[in-house]
Amino acid sequence: MARRVSWSQRLLPYLYVGPALTVACLFSFVSMGISLWVSFHDYDAFAGASRFVGFDNYHRALYSADSYFWLAMRHTAVYVVLSVCGTLLTSLPLALLCLRAKVGQALFRTLYFLPSITPGVVLALVFYHIFSNYGQLLDCSWTALPALALLGVWAGAGYNMVIFLAGLTEIPQILYDAAVVDGANRWQQFRHITMPMLRNTLVFVTVMTIIGSFQVFTSVYIMTSGGPERSTEVIAYSIFVNAFAVAGQMGYASALAWLLFAVIFVFVFVQMRVFRSRRIYDE
Amino acid sequence: MSRLKLVAGLLLALILVAGVLARAGLTRRWVEDLGLQKTQREELRVWDWWSASTNEEYGDYFNALEAAFEARNPDVDVIFQVVPFGNYVQKLSTAMVGDTPPDVFQSSVYWAEGFHQRGMLRSLNGLLDADPALPGTPAYVGESAFLPSAWRHNHAEDGTIFGIPQIIDASCLLWNLDILQAAAADDDEIRAMFQRDAAGAIDWTCIFWNAVHDWEHFRRLTRKLTVRDENDDVTQAGFLLSASSGAGLFAPWLAANGGRFQDAAGTQALFASARGIETVEFIARLYWVDRVCPPFRRQMTDGEMFKERRAAVVAAGTWSGKDITRDTMGWTHFGKTAFPRGPSGDGPSTVTWGNMLVITRRCDNVDAAWRYVKFVGGLEGSLLRGQYLGYNGPRFDFYATDRWQQALQERPYLSNVKQICLAGDKLRHTEIIAVDHQANPIVESVLLHYPEIVEGRGPYPSVAAAMRTAADNVDNVYRRYNEQVDNWLALRAAGAD
Repeated sequence: MARRVSWSQRLLPYLYVGPALTVACLFSFVSMGISLWVSFHDYDAFAGASRFVGFDNYHRALYSADSYFWLAMRHTAVYVVLSVCGTLLTSLPLALLCLRAKVGQALFRTLYFLPSITPGVVLALVFYHIFSNYGQLLDCSWTALPALALLGVWAGAGYNMVIFLAGLTEIPQILYDAAVVDGANRWQQFRHITMPMLRNTLVFVTVMTIIGSFQVFTSVYIMTSGGPERSTEVIAYSIFVNAFAVAGQMGYASALAWLLFAVIFVFVFVQMRVFRSRRIYDE
Repeated sequence: MSRLKLVAGLLLALILVAGVLARAGLTRRWVEDLGLQKTQREELRVWDWWSASTNEEYGDYFNALEAAFEARNPDVDVIFQVVPFGNYVQKLSTAMVGDTPPDVFQSSVYWAEGFHQRGMLRSLNGLLDADPALPGTPAYVGESAFLPSAWRHNHAEDGTIFGIPQIIDASCLLWNLDILQAAAADDDEIRAMFQRDAAGAIDWTCIFWNAVHDWEHFRRLTRKLTVRDENDDVTQAGFLLSASSGAGLFAPWLAANGGRFQDAAGTQALFASARGIETVEFIARLYWVDRVCPPFRRQMTDGEMFKERRAAVVAAGTWSGKDITRDTMGWTHFGKTAFPRGPSGDGPSTVTWGNMLVITRRCDNVDAAWRYVKFVGGLEGSLLRGQYLGYNGPRFDFYATDRWQQALQERPYLSNVKQICLAGDKLRHTEIIAVDHQANPIVESVLLHYPEIVEGRGPYPSVAAAMRTAADNVDNVYRRYNEQVDNWLALRAAGAD
């Protein structure tokens, strides 16, 4: 006989998640809603006043001669590509090496993870001095953005390595044993077992790296301020400048932010549809 | 025991939350209105970006200032708060919205005009008119007490005064007199830069404030002072250029060439004129043709290279000095000049500005705030800044004091600052950060790619085209800004109705 659940017991879980959900909604969805409203207005934070302008801010971002939206998006896209490629080419090999290490695996995990928990400002300041002494990478418009991407890859390698490690440990050993019996070499095992089984993890890491890279700001703000010659002006920095350094352009900055959101949304949506999670093997 | 810990933890959390609420913005006023927080003295909240964390002398200065002011005004408790320069505007807007604005703050000329036009600042005209201090006295803070160049940014075109200057700054050329003195041994032209004492002997500690006659003279001097090694690399720069300085580097040279960066009303960019183009080309040619500079480096600042004695002259400011002396363990053998006259200019010039103290419109203690502003803006405040920070004052009477004369003896590099400040034009003042964001990358491109632009294969078809593009973008900034100003005025008018 099914036990009847009282309404108070049904309500209890929601009460438990309520405070956290309220805070999350307040600082995310409510803020996003306000930002969307501001993007359709000529809004000045100082005066607390606004004037409805419709899609003028969006039109200005996309078509105005003095708008740097497309330039910033181009730079951001380059940064994303460099970051994703760099991340995959470093984090996965690091994870594979870490897994194979017989001694000191925990030590290596910790060491590689340390940059991920170091404040971005600290990393930016340290790398600013490194780049100034070795190669002057920030002095040239061709090398400044790749230099920032290098910092981003280095900072995120450990975090993504840990995620890959978790994915790798989930792969049943029996698959590798069977492959060895069938005569597969290491590369064949990696290509036909490891990569397919890591598919979901790869998608996750790629999506999260893309989302994070699209929002790069700290390194640009600390190290280059968008220079030299705007070669590192990314969309997040452009949003910041227009929101806080220019009078009364909060609406325009909000429009830039929502355009960025739209781009990220499309990217992620396409990725999730194309590479959507699926069961790799039958139980 | 665990229950005891739980109760203790809850109690502590409640106390912390209550404490935060009691002191936080809106709730602070409620608590004060309840009479739960009574202070014996009127609190006066003063913001500034000068911080003991960047320079311990600022800490000494504020301690002395607080002690001196409160000794004369025992009913006022001055509370200083440091706000980083880069976050000032954001912090102020947050404070205004959150009902926790300061009573008084130091305002850079970067923001003062904007703050006034937003209606954030209290007009000081009535306070000045009612001030019992007489012109010519140390406590007087009206216009006649200050150098004209200090009294340019603190009032609107309609005569509304919203700030009292507390410092006077000017861009200047900073010369390494060790290098000059060594070069002067067999060069009459360099020797002529130095002043002479009463007996006619060369005073190697001082150069004339207008020692450089014109731009050709400057080019000759810097070429002579440039030293190269066997690889033709510059080991001692005749002059240091930072491509990323943009309008900050360009503006004083433009002033010396008779040009202006913007119009007085902040509606139009004027730097793309023939004088402006001539100025940018002169600067670019110093690097590419005269080759008096080492390669452009974003990370190495002019000041660092100057302190390392690897540059004969850099563009710096009249405030530069005490920090150089401190960082070089006592080196004072350098001198300052204005920027030399350009081909289209009338005489040596530069750009000047006077950061000021302002009173916010929401200040409740206007009397205390005004007394503070008068103290800091008066002669005594100027002398305190001179004593602790090495700053020259914005007031005429400051330069007649024994303390200033003593400072000149101790630090001869101060000898020209008054003349330089008097010779300067008004620094650009409208939406500077937004303007720099538009103009600086273009000026940087011109400096970095000058030869390619001249040959017709650069990022811009010509220097004139690049400057025109920058000016058009800056005009858009001004246009949008003035639309905002109209909105603010309309809002205030509607509020008044």
